[in-house]
Amino acid sequence: MDRRQLIKWLKEPLKMSNKYSLHVVYFCTGCGIIEIPPSITARWDAERFGVKPVATPRQANLFLITGYVSLKTLKPIIRTYEQMPAPKYTVAFGSCPIDGGMYWDSYNTINHLDKYIPIDGYIAGCMPRPEAVFAGITHLWTLIDEGKADGYKKYRRNYSQYRSNQERLYGELGWPPRFETEGLENE
Amino acid sequence: MVGMKIAGIIFSPIIGVITGLLLTGAARKMVARVEWRYGPPILQPVIDLIKLFFQRPPSHGKTFDYGLIASLAGSIVLVLFLPVGRLCPLSEGGGLLLITYLILIGPLGMALSGGEGANPYVSIGISRKLILSLGYEVTLLLILLSVMSEYDTISIFNVVRAQSENGWSLFSWPLVIPGLAYLLILPAILGVKPFDVASAPQEISSGPHVEYGGKYLALSKLEGGLSEFIGIALFVNLFLGGWSIPGSLHLPAGVLGVFLGVLVFLAKVAFVFSLNVTVSASFPRLRVEQAVKYLWSWPAFIGLVGLIIVSAL
Repeated sequence: MDRRQLIKWLKEPLKMSNKYSLHVVYFCTGCGIIEIPPSITARWDAERFGVKPVATPRQANLFLITGYVSLKTLKPIIRTYEQMPAPKYTVAFGSCPIDGGMYWDSYNTINHLDKYIPIDGYIAGCMPRPEAVFAGITHLWTLIDEGKADGYKKYRRNYSQYRSNQERLYGELGWPPRFETEGLENE
Repeated sequence: MVGMKIAGIIFSPIIGVITGLLLTGAARKMVARVEWRYGPPILQPVIDLIKLFFQRPPSHGKTFDYGLIASLAGSIVLVLFLPVGRLCPLSEGGGLLLITYLILIGPLGMALSGGEGANPYVSIGISRKLILSLGYEVTLLLILLSVMSEYDTISIFNVVRAQSENGWSLFSWPLVIPGLAYLLILPAILGVKPFDVASAPQEISSGPHVEYGGKYLALSKLEGGLSEFIGIALFVNLFLGGWSIPGSLHLPAGVLGVFLGVLVFLAKVAFVFSLNVTVSASFPRLRVEQAVKYLWSWPAFIGLVGLIIVSAL
């Protein structure tokens, strides 16, 4: 952990502050939410790394999706993701958001969450224990350091594709496009 | 003297903001230690602020921006009227009466700005905040009246100077009663844990702050730190003798004395704040009607008795 290295702070304040001030909004889908209370309370204490739960997506920059995603919950997930301000990271828990997991042939569950919103990292397991959550957070730090956690840029660049994937599920989405769908490939 | 005034106008808001931020960080650390956690570093609010100023959140209109700025400006003006140690740029005139008016600008600007966001949680939070301030402002007025009638002045600077000659008013006979009442309502003024009904994250998604992200949240955090500093600084000035040291010790005159006075003042502020943090770490949140019932029973009663005794003696 390089939180105390002042030179790094002066060189890259954006990266460093995003690393050590991850404000989290949890989306309680499925079983993974039960791993969150131990990791933020006295047993594992995520707050010592600056990871803090907040109540609204406007204040958050890390989005944890904790478990399988049904068709009904995908809509609020997309809206929550679009409401978060710009440098934002998404981490999905468990096997289910990766490829459907044990719900791979369910009629009501998304198999690949990555098609609908960009995911910066997965924590594999069914379910991951809090140690795995911490390993995921520290790995997210290295991703931010190397500039690889750029899901929000990817979302903006390929918005027309994401939007068409979302519309294939629901037909009409019920809200206007977040970005212009044409002519963003050059940005 | 003019140089001192200009220095006060420049430095006292800066001191207020920095102290507010550091106190918030220290509070997070202290709450963590009470809960047997390790806790974040004390500079964590600064890290949060750097991150928040880099974000680009959506705005909800002009009132959304200007209301927040008005709220922050109101708090900064209020700091100018409070003596911070011996730095007291504007506090010799209107004093306590002015403060009772100015102390409302912060919440009102926040309400104006949050209302523009048109989120239902904002209006719930604002109404809760106004109900809560209805609860504590009666007592606060009773306390201010007793202090004014005891020292026979409305100037907060003269109150502090009288205390530096005659001893702190929290430890002198009739004024100990309003001092106790102030200690009882101080958590409600600061809006910390048992009384954080207005910004409860678990019930109403942090209330008036629900639409704030990025730089808006940063400005509202600065305002929150400043208003915490103001609530405690008023108590320290009125009841703990501002810059004065107990006993026969006196601060030297000149720049060194001003510097030491500010340090003594900040030490007192930190002490009173840590008392409030222990209260907030050990009690769960009250409901709105429970908070008002508490505020209108014991603190108001003690404040009224204090005013009667002070004016009878």
